[in-house]
Amino acid sequence: MNGPIRRLIRTVMALFVVLVLAATYVQAVAAEGYRSDPRNQRTAIARVGKERGLIATADGTVLARSVAESEGSQLFVRQYPEGPAFSHVVGYASRLFGDEGLERTYADELRSRRDVTISDVIAALVGGDLRPRSVMLTIDPDVQRTAFDALEGQTGAVVAIDPESGGVIALVSSPSFVAENLLDADAAEAYAKLVESKKEPLANRATRRNYPPASTFKTLILAAAIEEGKVTPASEYQDFATYRLPGSSAVMRNFDGERCGTDDQVSVESAYINSCNTVFAQVGIDTGAEAIGEMAAALGFGADFEFALPVGDSTFPTDELARDPAALAQSSIGERDVRVTPLQMAMLAATIANDGIVMRPYLVDQLFDADGKTVRAFEPNLLGEAMSPATASVIAEMMERVVTEGTGYRAGIPGVRVAGKTGTSEQGDPGSHVWFIGFAPVERPTIAVAVVVENGGAVGEGATGARVAAPIAAQVIAEWLENRS
Amino acid sequence: MTRTAEASLVAGACLLAVLGVTMVNLASGGTVDAQAALTGLVFAVTFFGLLITVRILAPAASPHLLPLVAFLAAIGFMEIYRLGAERAGQQRWWWLIAFVISTVTLAVLRRASLALLRRYRYLLFALALGLMLLPLLPLSSGLPLRGWEANGSRLWVLLDLGFTELHFQPGELAKLAFVIFLASYLAERGTGLTAARHVGKVPFPDPRQLVPLLVVWAGSLFILIAQRDLGASLLLFAVFVVMLYAATGRAVYLGVGATLFTAGAFAVWRIFDHVQVRVDAWLHPFSNYDGAGYQIAQGLFALGTGSLSGAGPGLGRPDLIPNAHTDFIFAAIGEELGLAGSVAVLVAFALLVGVGFGIALRARDRFRKLLATGLATVLAVQTLLIVGGVLRLFPLTGITLPFMSYGGSALVGNLLAVVLLAQISHEERI
Repeated sequence: MNGPIRRLIRTVMALFVVLVLAATYVQAVAAEGYRSDPRNQRTAIARVGKERGLIATADGTVLARSVAESEGSQLFVRQYPEGPAFSHVVGYASRLFGDEGLERTYADELRSRRDVTISDVIAALVGGDLRPRSVMLTIDPDVQRTAFDALEGQTGAVVAIDPESGGVIALVSSPSFVAENLLDADAAEAYAKLVESKKEPLANRATRRNYPPASTFKTLILAAAIEEGKVTPASEYQDFATYRLPGSSAVMRNFDGERCGTDDQVSVESAYINSCNTVFAQVGIDTGAEAIGEMAAALGFGADFEFALPVGDSTFPTDELARDPAALAQSSIGERDVRVTPLQMAMLAATIANDGIVMRPYLVDQLFDADGKTVRAFEPNLLGEAMSPATASVIAEMMERVVTEGTGYRAGIPGVRVAGKTGTSEQGDPGSHVWFIGFAPVERPTIAVAVVVENGGAVGEGATGARVAAPIAAQVIAEWLENRS
Repeated sequence: MTRTAEASLVAGACLLAVLGVTMVNLASGGTVDAQAALTGLVFAVTFFGLLITVRILAPAASPHLLPLVAFLAAIGFMEIYRLGAERAGQQRWWWLIAFVISTVTLAVLRRASLALLRRYRYLLFALALGLMLLPLLPLSSGLPLRGWEANGSRLWVLLDLGFTELHFQPGELAKLAFVIFLASYLAERGTGLTAARHVGKVPFPDPRQLVPLLVVWAGSLFILIAQRDLGASLLLFAVFVVMLYAATGRAVYLGVGATLFTAGAFAVWRIFDHVQVRVDAWLHPFSNYDGAGYQIAQGLFALGTGSLSGAGPGLGRPDLIPNAHTDFIFAAIGEELGLAGSVAVLVAFALLVGVGFGIALRARDRFRKLLATGLATVLAVQTLLIVGGVLRLFPLTGITLPFMSYGGSALVGNLLAVVLLAQISHEERI
């Protein structure tokens, strides 16, 4: 009689395996279809959740808040009242698509402790504070809005930093999205549209994307060269219209294909102000990949500086470039193998403005508990010293002349001493990726900015950093200085 | 497994119940409260009570049964509580009642052993029939005992005590009585059923021996038609065929049984609208979304939204599923605990059923072997039917998930099945 029973056991166990497989199919394989089915009310009510803390700025502007669904309800609707200009910084907390931005980074602080983890249960048992905490940002909402508006929907990013502290004043990525749409009844549809859009509105270009820095990188080359003692602003270089790359048949040209000056020789200062490629190729080779790589590392390239949002890599491949002078020459004008994030370039400008001292950029100033008591305050943090104050001040002087008499004149603001550097990449099709980095006021800088616009923005073919990016930086700086006075 | 291990696993399950209730509280803004404390108390009384009872009355019983039942009970209770605190309060009372009835049963069997049940098999058969027919009592009469209809099925009996009304499903106890009767009957007569006539070269059971098979088949169809209870009908028939197979070792009964049931079910499907509606809802839940398919569709939405890790206790919306606390408790668990929770529950059931069959393998005599097989099959078929229905493997049959669904009579019946298994495993070792 045990024979049939054994066969029964095998059959029943096989049937249980079928159930497990069926459950796996329904809950893993087919789950997405069921979840996003328009008739699944769970999608519509996913916007309703538990209370989360505030995300706000120092002046009291609320960027994210939870509002009770109805009076006395324990279910809350998440709102993002300031709209798309802040979407990449604030992010969203979606039960369908997960959390992004600061909603993700500070999820543990922002969420109510009335949750389902064992530590919450223990906290409840010992009578701990179960209410969510709030996050206060370093962002200036007016400057943030101005930066977003100045981009006028062009694809790109703006990052502005307080050079002295490293506090982020504005961090904007465009195009953006309406975060609340991802919590709505038709969130699945809205999300799918954003994911499929070729303009990638969900991508945070300010921190995650990296671009060839083009001529703005000459600022870093200059810093490395001066620090190494290879050049001074007055050093003279051969003023080629075209420059044959060492060990290669390829030729590098200046932007307009002409010589920079009128003489055979040109000073490094003049070459920087007029953005001469052929001269900086030579300066880069004279300085050497190692020294440039060290400067890049000191400025934060390849470093994990624990920013509140995920940061993309900024890269200068020292070892490869040390073996390949032609590539080093091209990299010295910010092309070929160099990649930088807008955040990294804002840090470069901020370092020049801050006497060569690199501050760790930070976005969150304080965390509050529900009673408004500070539970954690973030102090400015030194990342290192990239260059001497003397080097920084020499470069600052040159950057100011870029704005007063060089390519950066569109960044000029009447009555304000602005310093900067433009960049127009050879890459990007159609239209170049264009840059401007700078800071102001030169005598006592309070803001450093990096602007990048992909594919020449609205101008497209023939766009330059001078024409497209510099005016955006000017608007951002002007708004900031006006606000402070 | 040692008795200490058994006790600590049971303690863990009790703690799980308290944690589950607390998590649901936290999710809705509450905290540790009287509900959590009461749940802990009832679970501790029920399961440690059972643990002690078993140790005294059936000390050699398998130590694997109670921890598994306690685990399933804890997960199920958390979900019942999440779907409504009031019902959870009633369910706590049912656990205590089931504990008392189980204890009494063990005490009686301690004195008389299972031989008692074997002896009174025809009484039990009559009891089973009577219990099954009880819901067909008139719905409204002056009598204190009346039939009661819910969800289109005549499965309930209403006991009007004047001051309060009690609803219970006598079928849940009838299935136990039926299994005991079958075990006893087949233990004695089973060998006769292996005799076969040959039609040409095909061995065929003796027509006279087929008569009981046909009687039960007819009976189960009767339940299907008269009480509109596809689940009970299938369960009854499946248990019968399986026990017949276990007793005779002849696979032909499985084949004949399956054929008979399929033919019967097909005929019923052709004749009765409500069966067609169920099958349609199964085949096309989404095109019948506004009608019969709504429940299945909501179950699938719940499971799909729960996905791998679930929404978290109290954080999903299983309240959107009709009858989430009974037939669809599995979907509710899948939504809030995810695939992880679903699989954990299925594994626990598979283990429990496996332990049951294991007891059958080691039992001393034919009666005990068949009884254990029947009891394990009852637990297995209920689980497979309702979970398979919720997962849309086959049409939905209204049946509860043992130890997890809300409902008192089912709880008493299933806990008694486990207690009987414990008693069989105990007697095998003395």
